[in-house]
Amino acid sequence: MMLTIKDLQASVEEKTIIKGLNLTINPGEVHAIMGPNGAGKSTLGYVLSGREGYEVESGSVEFEKQDLLEMEVDERARAGIFLAFQYPVEIPGVSNMEFMKESVNAARKERGEEPLSAAEFLKTAKAACKQVNLPLDFLKRGVNEGFSGGEKKRNEIMQMILLQPKLCILDESDSGLDIDALKVVADGVNSQRDGKRSFIVVTHYQRLLDYIQPDFVHILADGKIVKSGGPELAKEVETSGYAWLEGHEEASA
Amino acid sequence: MSQWLANVLDRASTVNDWLSPVRQTALATLREQAWPTRRTEAWRYTSLHEVAELELKQAGNSASVANAEAPAIAGLNSLDLVFVDGQPVTDFSMLTLSAGVTVTQLHGVNAEQQGRISELFNQAKPAHHLFGLVNDVLAEQGVVIDVAAGADVQQPIRIVNFVTDGVESHHRVLVNVGDNAKVTVIEHGAGNGHSMNTAYAEYVLGSESKLEHYRFAMHGQEAIHMGGSHFKMGESSRLNSTIVGYGSRLTRIDTDVIHAAEHAFAKMNCIYLLAPKEHFDLHTTIEHAKPNGTSEENARGIVGDKAKAVFNGRIHIHRDAQKTLAELNNRNLLLSRGGQINTKPELEIYADDVQCAHGATVAEIAEKELYYLQTRGIPRSQALVMLNFGFVQELVNQMPNKALSEWLQPLLRERFSAMETK
Repeated sequence: MMLTIKDLQASVEEKTIIKGLNLTINPGEVHAIMGPNGAGKSTLGYVLSGREGYEVESGSVEFEKQDLLEMEVDERARAGIFLAFQYPVEIPGVSNMEFMKESVNAARKERGEEPLSAAEFLKTAKAACKQVNLPLDFLKRGVNEGFSGGEKKRNEIMQMILLQPKLCILDESDSGLDIDALKVVADGVNSQRDGKRSFIVVTHYQRLLDYIQPDFVHILADGKIVKSGGPELAKEVETSGYAWLEGHEEASA
Repeated sequence: MSQWLANVLDRASTVNDWLSPVRQTALATLREQAWPTRRTEAWRYTSLHEVAELELKQAGNSASVANAEAPAIAGLNSLDLVFVDGQPVTDFSMLTLSAGVTVTQLHGVNAEQQGRISELFNQAKPAHHLFGLVNDVLAEQGVVIDVAAGADVQQPIRIVNFVTDGVESHHRVLVNVGDNAKVTVIEHGAGNGHSMNTAYAEYVLGSESKLEHYRFAMHGQEAIHMGGSHFKMGESSRLNSTIVGYGSRLTRIDTDVIHAAEHAFAKMNCIYLLAPKEHFDLHTTIEHAKPNGTSEENARGIVGDKAKAVFNGRIHIHRDAQKTLAELNNRNLLLSRGGQINTKPELEIYADDVQCAHGATVAEIAEKELYYLQTRGIPRSQALVMLNFGFVQELVNQMPNKALSEWLQPLLRERFSAMETK
């Protein structure tokens, strides 16, 4: 087991958003989490990353036999959790290159490896940049500074490729992308599937799942997983939308 | 009148050297000065109570100071003039000077130069700076740099002044940059301990001359530092100045750029970095007295917890100074809610055909930026250092001398760590 979430309940500004969520992820698995707006999809990513203001009220999260909830944001990242943001923040003044070099070396230090030299890092970064189809001068620019929505998403995937995490959480990495950009993102993700690395793919639409084949699909509604299944469940959502959930909630209530 | 200032006036009467005639004028002005209070506009946000009753040992006039070596700056290859508490350590008779440069100790100016050099005194520094007047009457030590017309001086000249615990000292620099001459001068102040030091420098730029100037005020937390760099711009002269200041118990720096002739260009970048509880006050003035002048000023500050920064940026465009271009920008970053920044752009424009822009901002450190960096495995304190770097990097990158900007990087890293609220 890589990740075990048990009865997780979490709140933001004293409003409970995640209301008893259970999820188990094994190495190498791809789990898609779908659901309507406001279901708590993004909140789940923030809670797992340890964002301040996202309070865990009860439940537990175990990541590789460690109590994830006890760890700082950066410790979680170095332990191998990566969150690709829906809206990555712009940090003018800090160069993408410098930022990623520090990130990669922080991860290497954690694994007891020597830091990469500037030249070694540049080589790796250039390859990753090429892989997600970003011009090389993006490495020199400020972190996400003046990037378009699609460029920001691709920059997130580039970071994922460089950091080699164990568990990748992709928060609506498809939103706002045209089909070509979507393919670049999906190819980037697929290139990292190696039978050990796991993924949580959070998405509103089924479209991304045409390109990233999930092993499991979960429907998240009102802070709980209300239905789990295989890839066919995503198809079901595509044809019938989320309207059927209302009936489900009434039934469960 | 404070006890300290009364002592200054007493001591001033014992100073007797070739500068005495010009010192007398300053002394007369100083006698008429009231001790600043919170109601004195120039000192509104900076209290002088630390100075009012100050009693420190006076730096001696005999040069018997401990050996001190200037912190080396790789790749700079500067001519280093080292002082401790204003007293020379460098043997000036042994200097190897670039062609066209004369470097003399303030008290060692020979009779034939005296007339000309005394004309430099208070040429660029206005008489309204209280501690500048103190420096006028007390600074017996210092440096005179004379760059001959047309000289293109490649080797930067660095004046290092260390302050030491328990000592009060006064230090003066006078620089004449001849017509068409080109030179780089670095004023480098450092040292720890509870000290009080005034350090004023005046630069007179000839026609079409170029001055690259740096002032590093990197004194320890306990120091009291009062100083200024003042520039009188000749016709079509160019100034590129970078000031990097740390806070301390009390640091106050005044700068004046006087466009005394047409077509001068002055660029000034200032960075101030305050560790918790420190105080730093920067007052800058640009006087556009003649037409067709250009000035660009950028000041950025980062303020730690319970620290207080003051920035006052004045641009004064005189009635005759048509076609002036003047820009002033001040940006501040507060590292905690406990920090304080008082920023005031001050524009006085009497000409009607000018372009003048100014702006001031104060921002808090962005939690969402810190969080983003942390989600990539960077520890919070390191992330803070990166964000601080990001805030001032642009100005560091604009420093024309790359050896100096390289040298600055690790110092800033160290400084940012010291600025973090633990």
